[in-house]
Amino acid sequence: MGLELRNIHKHFGPVRANDGISITVETGTLHGLLGENGAGKSTLMKVLSGFHSADSGEIVLDGKKIKLASPDDAIEAGIGMLHQDPLVFLPFSVIDNFVLGSPGGWRLDRRQATAEMQELCDRYGFSFDPHTPSRLLTVGERQQLEIVRLLWLGARVLILDEPTTGISADQRAKLFAALKSLSKEGMSVIFVSHKLEEVADLCERVTVMKRGKVVGEADMPVPPERLVEMMFGQAVQIRDRKEVAHGKSRLTVDSVRMATGLLSEESTSLEVNAGEVIGLAGMEGSGQDTFLRICSGMRSLKQGSVTVAGKDLTGKHYRDFLAADVKYLPAGRLEEGLIEGLTITEHFVLSGEDRSFFIDWAQARNRAVEQVDHFAIKGTEASTVESLSGGNQQRLLLAMLPHELSVLLMEHPTRGLDIESADWVWEQLLARREDGTSIVFASADLDELLRYSDRILVFFSGRVIGELDASSTNVDEIGLLIGGRSANPELSEGSQ
Amino acid sequence: MSSYRLTNLVLPISVVVASAVGLLVLAGTNPWDPLQLIVEGSIGWPPFEAGKSAKVGDTVMVWVPIALASAGLIVTFNAGMWNIGIEGQIIMGAIAAAFVAREVSAPRPLLVLLTILAGAVGGLLWGLLVGVLRTAGGVNEIFGGLGLDFVAISFTTYLIIDPWARTGVASTSGTDIFPDAALLPSSSGTRLSLLAIAIALLAIGGVWILFRGTLYGLKLKAVGANLRSSFLMGIPTNRYLLGAFMICGALAGIGGTVQATGFHFKLIPAISGGYGFLAILVVLLARYQAFWVIPISFFFAMIAVGSSQLDLRLDLNSALGGVLQGVLVLSAMFGLGWAAYRTKRQLQEASGGDSG
Amino acid sequence: MKSRKRWLSTLAVFLSFALVAAACGDDSETTTTLDGGTDTTATPSAGAPDDFQIGIILVGPEFDRGYSQAHFEGAQYAIEQLGLPEENLISLDFVNPGDNPGLTPEGVAADMISQGADLVIFNSDDMRDGALAAAEQNPDIPMIWVSGDSAWADGKAYEAELTNLGNVWGQMIFGKMIAGCAAALTTETGELAYLGPLTNDETRRLVNSAYLGAQYCWENFRGESADSLDFTVTYIGFWFEIPGVTLDATQVVNDFIDGGSDVVLSGIDTTQALVRTGQRADAGESLWAVPYDFVDACQEAPGICLGVPYFNWGPAYLDIAQSVIDGTYTADWNWIAPDWSDINAVDSSVVGYGKGDGLSTENAADLDTFIAGLGDGSIQLYRGPLNWQDGSQFLGDGEVATDFQIWYSEQCLEGVVGACSINVFG
Repeated sequence: MGLELRNIHKHFGPVRANDGISITVETGTLHGLLGENGAGKSTLMKVLSGFHSADSGEIVLDGKKIKLASPDDAIEAGIGMLHQDPLVFLPFSVIDNFVLGSPGGWRLDRRQATAEMQELCDRYGFSFDPHTPSRLLTVGERQQLEIVRLLWLGARVLILDEPTTGISADQRAKLFAALKSLSKEGMSVIFVSHKLEEVADLCERVTVMKRGKVVGEADMPVPPERLVEMMFGQAVQIRDRKEVAHGKSRLTVDSVRMATGLLSEESTSLEVNAGEVIGLAGMEGSGQDTFLRICSGMRSLKQGSVTVAGKDLTGKHYRDFLAADVKYLPAGRLEEGLIEGLTITEHFVLSGEDRSFFIDWAQARNRAVEQVDHFAIKGTEASTVESLSGGNQQRLLLAMLPHELSVLLMEHPTRGLDIESADWVWEQLLARREDGTSIVFASADLDELLRYSDRILVFFSGRVIGELDASSTNVDEIGLLIGGRSANPELSEGSQ
Repeated sequence: MSSYRLTNLVLPISVVVASAVGLLVLAGTNPWDPLQLIVEGSIGWPPFEAGKSAKVGDTVMVWVPIALASAGLIVTFNAGMWNIGIEGQIIMGAIAAAFVAREVSAPRPLLVLLTILAGAVGGLLWGLLVGVLRTAGGVNEIFGGLGLDFVAISFTTYLIIDPWARTGVASTSGTDIFPDAALLPSSSGTRLSLLAIAIALLAIGGVWILFRGTLYGLKLKAVGANLRSSFLMGIPTNRYLLGAFMICGALAGIGGTVQATGFHFKLIPAISGGYGFLAILVVLLARYQAFWVIPISFFFAMIAVGSSQLDLRLDLNSALGGVLQGVLVLSAMFGLGWAAYRTKRQLQEASGGDSG
Repeated sequence: MKSRKRWLSTLAVFLSFALVAAACGDDSETTTTLDGGTDTTATPSAGAPDDFQIGIILVGPEFDRGYSQAHFEGAQYAIEQLGLPEENLISLDFVNPGDNPGLTPEGVAADMISQGADLVIFNSDDMRDGALAAAEQNPDIPMIWVSGDSAWADGKAYEAELTNLGNVWGQMIFGKMIAGCAAALTTETGELAYLGPLTNDETRRLVNSAYLGAQYCWENFRGESADSLDFTVTYIGFWFEIPGVTLDATQVVNDFIDGGSDVVLSGIDTTQALVRTGQRADAGESLWAVPYDFVDACQEAPGICLGVPYFNWGPAYLDIAQSVIDGTYTADWNWIAPDWSDINAVDSSVVGYGKGDGLSTENAADLDTFIAGLGDGSIQLYRGPLNWQDGSQFLGDGEVATDFQIWYSEQCLEGVVGACSINVFG
């Protein structure tokens, strides 16, 4: 008995967010669901909680097939979802939030509800005043409120989506204790995370997802390296790239700090030479993104310095970095790169070198046609960018890069691309090296990191815990570092 | 204009016509009479018939500020901004023009030019203020604009009942009539000012060219469509946002000048006539296309001037004109939304949708 | 004068009447009217030709239970008395730039004339420029600008060339004197308060009149000493409250009452003074109020209402219309006194005072005595010595004010407490 997902498919247009997923969660187990961002965990959980309906597949709860057309249905069926950002109505009092989702609706017995809430709180070691406005609760307390609410509504399966983001260690301990005692009472808990340690701490069984598929399952405990390997894949170590002689120093980052909080006192320094490729590895949110934003001038520095081709750009505006031929391509192509509603031609005009006031549309179109052809973009010069597939959007972004490029900073250069596009992208990028362009990229794909980097920086918890030579390292070494374990035991305790 | 394809027009227009007819039948009249009366009361029946030039003049001079404000709003809408502060910009333009008209003496052509410039500057500064609040203060332009509208209205009321109170008895009917030299030149016996028409057409043409053929316009559009991507492309987004507010404010301010020196010939408390808000509807209906502003705003002007006939002639409540206008706008929006939805659906079906 | 209202509401009735077609030849046919032929069912009496039409242009809503409705009903009264069908009254309401920015009074007048109006009435001071323009454009059509002074040869703004534009206004100064008297007769604390709108000659004139009436009755009926009566005025800054711009009328009333006043007289277009005072009276305080403008205004709090001074435009409009029909119309400035034989006579008195339930029988009798005194001239309140608020002389000993002096009241009188020359942003 328990919860069974059978062959769930969910597509968004061409994107296969869930591609035939089957998972079984036994009653009364704590089941971890691991995977990088974009692996399809969230989509799956939304299917399970009724926010999305699956294109095909079955959900079976305690031997009964159930149909979830809305979140209501899910709650009815006993599946409760705790969102990453608890859906609490802030101006309402705790008790009003508590009773808000109760079925029926017209009759409202606050006194009885309060008593029942108190009882649940006592049982699981939570405490908050029912009459306090919920905006005064911390994120952790809101989660607790949401949990007791879901229990009150009769949840038999509890889904927690990245529940430890933004809560204190103390609250996390409380949460974990409550989850453990719930599972002993027969509650099935699905714990979605990309944090290995938490999964290791809490879960009895784990399923790993990648690119919309289940890529591994294991009963805990399992060594973290093994989990990392499942998440990132067993890299085929081939380095078929052409080596290019590295030139003079292009980008120097000295003693910068990524973490804003109090977690890390350590600073990071890096020197990148012309034609060099640096890969940034690590769990999502370990500091790679911040590091790239520092290098691009998008984020101001509290300490340290950034120098580009000998020019000190510390504290300078993003546009000064641009003028120094530093270009930053974030992961969100449509959010942070292209402009929805505008055509390919218009994008080339915007990124082009011609600054004259009036636009020569005939010439702009001709140029766009040439570029579309040259970069093999599947679309016409009049296509709007949102009509392009991810691969073609990435091609367009590369086509828009200026000729003169000193440093190229990229997040996930090939995420979501088919193999052909991904190869093509790297062909273009590697060719850039010959003009002396330095490339710094973050990726969740160990294969990509090992294959194309000269050096790999591994980030953990807001700092660099290892710098590896890509030609001599291996997956195990990287996996260990990504999981926060290194030869130096002191470092591995630094998390959270 | 490519996005305003004929097929997309058929649906909204049929919805609009159906709603209008339905409303009038409900109001107990046949639908043709009121429409004919509105036309007759605004531009004469048959249209532009001789001897109705005063009416035509009024209608055209109502059209001018709506068209100017609409032209300005196309700029801010393209920059992704809801410039609700447009009313205040019209008002401050009118106040600045009134100041020049009252305080400066100069030969007529020069004085008229000065009032227009003053109006542009007044509106521009007021628009800039909305923009600065937004870019530097983080105040959403809708709230900042509403606040500044309110300030502008209060300021007008203050000027009219205190420092600029008319001689004799202070009254809310406005300031004294401006000296002749400050009034927009108009053809005799009417308010019709060719200069005002020329300015409005120029503004609409200018905005059309701005978004059709200039890099500045394209960048504004980019900023409006995706602020973050634009910033990453190296476009100084704040400067462009401010620029949009300034252009819009200046055009609205000229509209205010026309209201003051070409229609009321004085400053009155409701000097904006609500044309700024009306222009928001115009631009939404025109789907940000400059050319469509011309007929749509003229249609609103005709209703503004002509709907009194419903009360005078048919003994229908004159508020029916406003209701009619509201129903037309809502149904047009509905029709446009529906058409847009269908287009999107077709597009999605063709391309297989987008990623979630 | 009477500036009146703007795009919101106001008070009184209006009426207008007609002009014989004789003057205008072929005005009757005009443009195509779409309402089809009107069946004239009523038989003209009083010699009115059955195509005689009155056009009345209202600044506010036709049914505002206030200023514009009073004018509209006045015009209806005139049409009825002339024995004409109601179709002969052409009216358009909401003629103000706030509600109808595309309309101008002169444009509406032109429409009405082309529909056959023989007399056009502009009911608001705000229509001044439109009325002057319309009169100039249509020199053959008699017109009335209500509350104006353009036809007053001795006034400050005489427009001698506009021989077709007359003015009419009621002598509300008497209504306000009666209101002031009723307040003084009733007060227990000897402290009266006046809620003023915006400051101008007209509103000061009314404050002064209320003050004089109160002072007279305080001394002569109550037998108190002249300086023991407090009379405070606070102007909110506009005809009605505009949140954020004007003072908060309700708050001002609270301040009046908290400061010791037990009778509040209203000079603004809305009924906050009566309503708020009524609420406080319900809470157990001994308070009274006097509203303004509309004959039924007391209804909002009848128990504490001492009465209301109001306008009744019917007789005035009937007279004007009749004179147009008779061909005897001249563009005069008419500041019409109440019919002293019965100030509440519907058929003859332009200004009235409707006593409220809050007025005791005894005080009502005194008030009647006072009204009679005003009527027979034995009580003349605008007689010197009177000083302006700043101490300068208004009227010398025994001097009686002229209409001119009263109409253009530059200041409040000495004895009135509160600023009478500042406005909103003072």
